Amino acid sequence: MSHPLLQATDLTIQGDGVTIAPFSLNLGSGERLTLLGETGSGKSLIAQAIMGTLPRGLTTSGELLIDGTRYAAADVAARRTLWGRRLALLPQEPWHALDPTMRAAAQITESHRHVAGLARADARQATQHDLTELGLEDAGGKLPGELSGGMAQRVAFAAASAGGAPIVIADEPTKGLDAPRRDAVVELLARTPRAGGALLTITHDIDVARRLGGEVVILRQGQVVERGPAQQVLSDPQTEYGRRLLGAEPSRWPAPPPLTSAADATPVVTARGLAKSRGGRLLFQDLDVSVGPGEIVGVVGPSGCGKSTLGDMLLGLASCDAGEIEHAPGHRLGLQKLYQDPPAAFSSHWRLSRLLDDLVRRHDLERSAIAPLMERLGLDGRLLVRRPGEISGGELQRFAILRVLLLKPRLLFADEPTSRLDPITQQQTLSLLVELARERHCGVMLVSHDPALIARVCDRQLALGEATNVNGPAASARPLETASA
Amino acid sequence: MTSLTLSRAPSRWRSGLRGLLLQRLFQAGLVAWMVGTLTFVLTRTLPGDMAYRIAAGRYGHDMVDSAAAEAVRAELALDQPALGAYLGWLWDLLQLDLGRSLVSGEPVIHELWHQLGHSLGLAVMAVLLSLLIGPPLGLLAGRKPAGLLDRGSELAASVLRALPPFAVGLLLIMLFSVALGWLPAAGHGRFAHSVLPALTLALALAAVSSRVARNAMAEVSQSAYYAFSHTKGLGARLSFLRHGLRNAALPVVAYLGVQFVYLIEGVVVVETLFAWPGIGHALVHAIVARDVPMIQGTALVMGLMFVALNTVVDLICHWLDPRRREA
Amino acid sequence: MKQVTLSAPRRQLSLPALSQRQWVGALLLALLLAFAWLVPLWHSADPARQQLVRILELPSLATPLGTDHLGRDLLARTAAAIRLSLGMALLSVVTAAVPGLLFGVIAGWRGGWLDRILGSVADACLALPGLLLVLLLVAIAPGNFWALYVGISLVLWIEYFRVVRARTRVLVTSPQLEASRLLGFGPLYLFRRHLWPELAPQVLTLAAFGAASAILAMAALGFVSVGLRPPTAELGLMMIELLPYYHEAPWAMAQPILALFILVFSLNLLAGKDPR
Repeated sequence: MSHPLLQATDLTIQGDGVTIAPFSLNLGSGERLTLLGETGSGKSLIAQAIMGTLPRGLTTSGELLIDGTRYAAADVAARRTLWGRRLALLPQEPWHALDPTMRAAAQITESHRHVAGLARADARQATQHDLTELGLEDAGGKLPGELSGGMAQRVAFAAASAGGAPIVIADEPTKGLDAPRRDAVVELLARTPRAGGALLTITHDIDVARRLGGEVVILRQGQVVERGPAQQVLSDPQTEYGRRLLGAEPSRWPAPPPLTSAADATPVVTARGLAKSRGGRLLFQDLDVSVGPGEIVGVVGPSGCGKSTLGDMLLGLASCDAGEIEHAPGHRLGLQKLYQDPPAAFSSHWRLSRLLDDLVRRHDLERSAIAPLMERLGLDGRLLVRRPGEISGGELQRFAILRVLLLKPRLLFADEPTSRLDPITQQQTLSLLVELARERHCGVMLVSHDPALIARVCDRQLALGEATNVNGPAASARPLETASA
Repeated sequence: MTSLTLSRAPSRWRSGLRGLLLQRLFQAGLVAWMVGTLTFVLTRTLPGDMAYRIAAGRYGHDMVDSAAAEAVRAELALDQPALGAYLGWLWDLLQLDLGRSLVSGEPVIHELWHQLGHSLGLAVMAVLLSLLIGPPLGLLAGRKPAGLLDRGSELAASVLRALPPFAVGLLLIMLFSVALGWLPAAGHGRFAHSVLPALTLALALAAVSSRVARNAMAEVSQSAYYAFSHTKGLGARLSFLRHGLRNAALPVVAYLGVQFVYLIEGVVVVETLFAWPGIGHALVHAIVARDVPMIQGTALVMGLMFVALNTVVDLICHWLDPRRREA
Repeated sequence: MKQVTLSAPRRQLSLPALSQRQWVGALLLALLLAFAWLVPLWHSADPARQQLVRILELPSLATPLGTDHLGRDLLARTAAAIRLSLGMALLSVVTAAVPGLLFGVIAGWRGGWLDRILGSVADACLALPGLLLVLLLVAIAPGNFWALYVGISLVLWIEYFRVVRARTRVLVTSPQLEASRLLGFGPLYLFRRHLWPELAPQVLTLAAFGAASAILAMAALGFVSVGLRPPTAELGLMMIELLPYYHEAPWAMAQPILALFILVFSLNLLAGKDPR
């Protein structure tokens, strides 16, 4: 066992409706610890308590041993001098964590100069070295607004670690990044323990936890559910919650019900030779797509490759530069959409019952169809008196599915409908969606940045980006890296 | 969640410096056209005996005769058909031929030249004074939202904003001139004369800019980048200097452009109250005396002054914010 | 990260809910309204009647707020001036809000050439500082209430237009509107359920600020003697008339100032946060 860099003993957090049970950890040089949990598990609060950046209204107690010095967890001021020098914090959303009016290089240089104490010229040189090493040679002169999410994360990493802090705390470092960028960030994080430091990572992403290795702690509502080596906890969890959490990983999902309709059924939508460019850049061309009734077609590709645009084109919400789109005959409300951020798809000012009522009255729908469908979706009737912001994201997304299905759609475009949801909720929501789509012969085009999810749920997949268009069965997609042994 | 918040920057910011200056140039042209047109309408709505009355005002009642009235009529082009007169009126404006004052008989340009100096002096002093009071107070208050200083300055700002500049001026006169006898109430010439009018304008401006600065600072200190600057080890002082100041200054400077509306309005009443021989005072006098060429001249100069001050703000914003220099 | 996963606080009413500060403003304003409109009911003095034998009298039973330099009853004059200011403010706010809201929604929704034309008209009205435009209009028709009213409304509508247009532009492309459109709802429904609840609090704020600006502008013009003509009881005019006597009759001078202050202060409180 190497010498301890970060030790926490009986760390508790109290106040504002939050309670974190006593939590202890021990991280030595070269070691990694990952806190894994869903929204509300309190994982970020533990990181903030260690740093001393808890929001107002929360108090902490317990003891910390940081690089050989002892601190009372409540004594926040004493730890400020450690920031950047002993303790480095990688911010949640690097885009927002960088000063929007200062160029990337300057934000790294100031750390070298004022935190590490280098002379002006040396600091500049050290920055150049950092940029080259991180593959950011061209990014130094850019403003944060001109950087991609992945680049911003690397700049923030360089700025945070310029002071040479041996202990690195990363709070949701992969939030909002797509699969390849997520892997790059994991690679970046792994540098710290390799160089003899200690790494504490907070994440909701099981895959990230698995790749980082080391010790894993599963948290739920402020309590430690399970802890142990990553290989063990993440392949054979001992607790019921641990199993549920792992079971929510796309690769472990049960297979969706098979597509029953005949293979030669008329597709609900057929598009040929589609092309679209945006801002002078060609997104795709000569793209052929078709979605059959009850079929789930997945769309994957890096951010900004035109996944959403493609769906909007099929719905008639966006124009195409070339090609033709043919819809199966049917009523005009047959094209519907599910949105990434459920609250954004509703007006927050009205009760759900009112919104549902509006819909029923507008189209003379059968009121009797509502109750059974709500039950199928696991929606309690009492939710109807609430407003969209007053129920959870998962419930609201299921409500969105409800109101869409009432119109008996032929084609449903689901634009990352579960990316803002916790893993367990995500699985529930998607399996319901697939089940109902199959039952009602509604074709679904499902966009996701998670290839494993698409591979699991979809009958066929379409990969966009790099101007190559793979259009074939999901089985021929690239092997799933996420599948565990 | 922030995607729905109102975008503050008008679209014109996004275009480059050239586009920005062209926009302002266009605005200046618009100002000239509007002032010219409105004053032209004014000449056409003057009652029939106006030429006599104006002539009487200029030459004295005894001297007025049809020839003098004719001269005035010619000055205002009242003897020509409307369209031709309008085009002629604008043509003169384009050549900066503003005519002669109907009251003093002097070329308008001459009078404006002196008045502009006085008004600009007052305006610049007021803006500088307000910048000395407002933003520093706001920045201090914004670092501790809901603190004593924040509450106190908020109350003071609310009271000041509810008082029109002439009422503030009256109160200042009562305090400093009447009760204390430290400063002259009205007049012009010595530096002491300019203190009260400048302070009156500055207080009104500072009341707003202190709150803008306070909100900007509060927003910055809650931002992720300000927190990150602290956690990466820069400390409170360096974080404030390197990341707080510039980002908080942006809205303050941008808001100055809006404040110039108040400034121009304030100049009109404050100059009148303190008998300050500037443009605003002259405009009010010209309106009372129905001295059309002077109305046109003074309104034009004030409008252009507004555009010029805004251009300066544009340039400062451009210089402060590297995001605007891109593209 | 709290235990609850709800996002953004909710409001309980579909009408804009008022903050505590806004309630104070509304209450003050209500009191002032009551004062201005109730005074004539029990105090029947004519605000324009001069009594040169009783000038600058101290408050008494017959004249509860004293008299001015021409012996006119100050209670009646102040109440009349507040009525005038508030009436004018209300009129110009309504005149400005309706086209501002209407054009703002149309421009933000339709975009394209219509948006550009309306935007240019608004920019043109903004090229001159507001008071300057009002002054020029007043110069054309001196002492005329309607010139003042048209001028002030012409300046005020732009604010509504710009705020509403910017907000509408964002909302029209928002998922919530797109979703409702896909669900088959028409423009009227979209406005009622999506746009109006978002716009209403801002329109209320602008209306209160606009009323305050209108009152201040009218008083400023009265004060520099280019607004309404004597013997009208108008706050700015009263101030400039009483200015020479502030030494002898400070209470008289203080009345229009105080009335103006409370008026504008209560409106500013009612406005709540500045949307800009």
